[in-house]
Amino acid sequence: MGILETIRKRKLFFDGGMGSLLVAKGLQPGELPETWNVTHPEVLQEIHLQYLRAGSDEITTNTFGANGLKFGSDGEFSLKRLVTAAVENAKIARERFAEERRALADGMPADATETVECPAAIQMAENLTDGAAKAVWNSPGSAAKAAGNPVSDAVGSEHCAYIGLDLGPTGKLLKPLGDLAFEDAYKLYKEVVIYGAEAGADFVLVETMSDGYEAKAAILAAKENCDLPVCATMIFDKKGKLLTGGDVASTVALLEGLGVSMLGVNCGLGPVQMKEILKEILKVASVPVIVNPNAGLPRTENGKTVYDIDADEFAGVMEEIADMGANALGGCCGTTPEHIAKMTALCRNKKQILPEEKNRTVISSYAQAVEIGQSPVLIGERINPTGKSKFKQALRDHDIEYILREGVTQQDHGAHVLDVNVGLPEIDEPSMMEEVVRELQSVIDLPLQIDTSNIEAMERALRIYNGKALINSVNGKEESMRAVFPLVKKYGGVVVALTLDESGIPETADGRIGIAKKIYRVAAEYGIAKKDILIDALCLTVSSDSKGALTTLETLRRVRDELHGKTVLGVSNISFGLPQREIINASFFTMAMQNGLNAAIINPNSEAMMRAYYSFKALADLDPQCGEYISVYSGQTATLGQSAAVGSSAGSLTGTGKAAGAGASGTAAGRAAGSAGGTEGAKSLGGSGTADGELARCILRGLKEQAQAAVRELLAQRDSLAIINGEMIPALDQVGKGFEKGTVFLPQLLMSAEAAKAAFEVIKEHMSRSGETREKKGKIILATVKGDIHDIGKNIVKVLLENYDYEVIDLGKDVPPEMVTAAAAEHHAPLVGLSALMTTTVPAMEETIRLLRRETPWVKIMVGGAVLTEEYAETIGADRYCKDAMASVNYAEEIFAGQG
Amino acid sequence: MDIDYRETLRYLGYKNQAADDAVLALVRQCWAELDRTASPRSFWREYPLTVAGGEIDACVFQTRSRALGRNLRGCERILVFAASLGAGVDLLIQRYEKLQMSKAVVMQAAAAAYLEQYCDSVNEEIRQRYEANGWYLRPRFSPGYGDFSLECQTAIVAALEAGKRVGITLTDSLLMAPSKSVTAVIGVGRTPLACEVKGCEACGKTDCEFRR
Repeated sequence: MGILETIRKRKLFFDGGMGSLLVAKGLQPGELPETWNVTHPEVLQEIHLQYLRAGSDEITTNTFGANGLKFGSDGEFSLKRLVTAAVENAKIARERFAEERRALADGMPADATETVECPAAIQMAENLTDGAAKAVWNSPGSAAKAAGNPVSDAVGSEHCAYIGLDLGPTGKLLKPLGDLAFEDAYKLYKEVVIYGAEAGADFVLVETMSDGYEAKAAILAAKENCDLPVCATMIFDKKGKLLTGGDVASTVALLEGLGVSMLGVNCGLGPVQMKEILKEILKVASVPVIVNPNAGLPRTENGKTVYDIDADEFAGVMEEIADMGANALGGCCGTTPEHIAKMTALCRNKKQILPEEKNRTVISSYAQAVEIGQSPVLIGERINPTGKSKFKQALRDHDIEYILREGVTQQDHGAHVLDVNVGLPEIDEPSMMEEVVRELQSVIDLPLQIDTSNIEAMERALRIYNGKALINSVNGKEESMRAVFPLVKKYGGVVVALTLDESGIPETADGRIGIAKKIYRVAAEYGIAKKDILIDALCLTVSSDSKGALTTLETLRRVRDELHGKTVLGVSNISFGLPQREIINASFFTMAMQNGLNAAIINPNSEAMMRAYYSFKALADLDPQCGEYISVYSGQTATLGQSAAVGSSAGSLTGTGKAAGAGASGTAAGRAAGSAGGTEGAKSLGGSGTADGELARCILRGLKEQAQAAVRELLAQRDSLAIINGEMIPALDQVGKGFEKGTVFLPQLLMSAEAAKAAFEVIKEHMSRSGETREKKGKIILATVKGDIHDIGKNIVKVLLENYDYEVIDLGKDVPPEMVTAAAAEHHAPLVGLSALMTTTVPAMEETIRLLRRETPWVKIMVGGAVLTEEYAETIGADRYCKDAMASVNYAEEIFAGQG
Repeated sequence: MDIDYRETLRYLGYKNQAADDAVLALVRQCWAELDRTASPRSFWREYPLTVAGGEIDACVFQTRSRALGRNLRGCERILVFAASLGAGVDLLIQRYEKLQMSKAVVMQAAAAAYLEQYCDSVNEEIRQRYEANGWYLRPRFSPGYGDFSLECQTAIVAALEAGKRVGITLTDSLLMAPSKSVTAVIGVGRTPLACEVKGCEACGKTDCEFRR
């Protein structure tokens, strides 16, 4: 009987700690525990055996830290050898235990049914003061001939010994915060999985994970490289958070989406603290739950870690945990065979109650879960080039920042999920999709909706997505379902299902319901539950079919009432071809919600849509005491027809979205404030009065919105170049000089740069309308060198260089020398800027310089970073040491002046 | 935690000059966001210590460092310490690096000050506990200070199991990730220090931009 069958029948017991037992046997500080699989196999076998005697149904291989980062591919401690030996040791322990059990069974009359004590339990009990481990097993000897697992042979189904292949964390933080790429983490796990499965492990146990993304890499590696069941347990803190910020709901969504057979919590906390986490897990999980706590909370005594509760107390709390509904119980750091024996004694006869299917439709980001249920979920539609020339241009220009801002603005306006569509015929959609998803999930904590008809783009995005995504879309066509469903199944996700098929879009609700049923049926064949499908009832423009809206609404209603499914709509389609589209959109949105719409793809920046949303919730008993409605609208004075600024509840960022709707009077007031303080500001910045215009003052004081308003006004009177050269550049120079003199500080320098940038945007738009273009001064490559993941300095330089009209090609951080050289060659850039923060990464900088000198001898190289000095820069062969961002600008001006 | 304007501004390059209202407002905003986002964690263990001049044996690592040797003079034990504000703070800084650089630099300075303050508060608890038993602590000293080799990071992070307890990992170049993390050692001796020399004053790099 496999582990998944056993857990359906009764409580399952995992083993306890390994590390502290090895230390007790002589493992030295700094010695890698996995080497003992080869050097001290007898110790490992003994520990496994003790756990089996204590009543564990599972033994975890000593492969927690076994990965290719720590162990090479050959030699005494090759990874393959260590992993294989780990599984072998577990198998030998299992065999010895089976022999013990057989010997015990043979010594009994064939029809014996009375309670027996196995020798191990007796031995254990002798060591214990209260004999708690006595009578651990009720074992009918007549079951000795049962087939299957060697241990069950001897003792029947009462006791099993499944070998769990342990996959622990890599010890590295994944990109973008750390230096390990997701695919590299995957490869590290893949290797261990292949060796472990080959050696005969019974299942894969991904454990002690404090980062959902790393857990995803491990689970995918297990799923793709063996057929064993995969279980995963995570470390949560007392507040129920992962180290990387996810909570219980988002983590369970991710793990269940990836198809783990069991999930749970281990390490980090003692059993007492884990009760709270377990409660949260049981509320949302639909698969069996594992609880493997430490032996209490740790404290240090004389360099040793000791725990605040003993084995009896541990077992007592574990009994409560069993009663609460944990399905598998074991221990982690500090727990010993004694803990496990006492726990199994108390819990062995507890009734197993498996979690019920929760039927929650849920998606997640790395940080939060979003449940799609009764209260409508808003999916922001703005990250989509359709009909948006600026967005298309941003895609062509690879302007990721523009796309990120579209995301942040929607979040500030109240979106719960962001749709991501980057399809444009002339770009490489799969690469762009992957990159945009990576960037968005490093900046925004909302779940994403992967919106593409390109299956490669869909898979690449789903693979690197840090959570359980919404997928847009599949439809009733055979071909579509065949392509999309396997991806939904493999990576997890909730999929939008369009009610159309080979014969087109049915004109009736009957037809659409028919397709919905077909989609549910086929999805089920792929193992995808109804809860993970959102039926898109489809809305076509009402201007071409006056009954269209009613058909859509009827479909929504019937999916809810007859199919008990969930629905989604791209609401804005309804008004296509009509004037003042928001009017129709908002009303239709309300009607759709009233007819059961669960998720709406809308423009959250549209005040009309948000009004419909907040008022519907207030009216439909989805907003207790109208709290949300009041918090959004009580401070607002705007009347209908005007767009109003967003309330404080949603906002987290200043800038972009919020001030955008301030309206004419707001801007004027802001400008007045700006000029009132302007003179004083210019003075305090050491101004000599060279730049005394309004725009210059706004730049000096770093006032973004006012700078934009001022430049708009100026554009009515003067031409673009005159404004740039007469107002903006002098202001920037003045700030720069102040910075060099030490009267202006870094934040002010950057605020001014941002105000100037905002003003440049206005000028750029103006110029592109009139067909003018402005030549950039030239290309500069910037990179933070290989091994270095701190690039804030480089990013400061970038902001300033862009203000001075250079085209900056930013290669990011941790950039290999070859990539810098390739970029310098490709762009034939005259100047390359490199940054390095630590002494340990300066050698990489030196290597990069060497390669640049050889491959692209024309480039000038400027360097900067905390540990660099003038002399140091010279030693490693740079042309110029730049002590700060202004120094970089000055050097660039020098270089490019020479170029004409 | 209380806003430490002074340290935050110092990290931004201010040397006792007053910051304008806009910058002060930014410091306040950042501090408030840190209060929401940071999940400070720390862990430490005590080990026996042998110091012979610049030769230091702290059980989990052995190293040669004159600066550390001076710091640990007269100590019999050593506390190995790790603390971090967590990955969320790095994400926050990264977010603003993409969206608003001026706020990113203030956030990064505020986070550094926030982390120092957190370490000081944990350090203070430890000090009280030790002094109650007649033991006195030396100032925290981190790998990378003076000639205390960064190479010791590997052993320190491993010995404390800092990855799972505090969430600190090391990159191949021995940088800590998340970046707002600290590892340090704290000497423990039977005699109190007459005068505590710590931080900038103990550092040999006298031309440092951020020296107090």
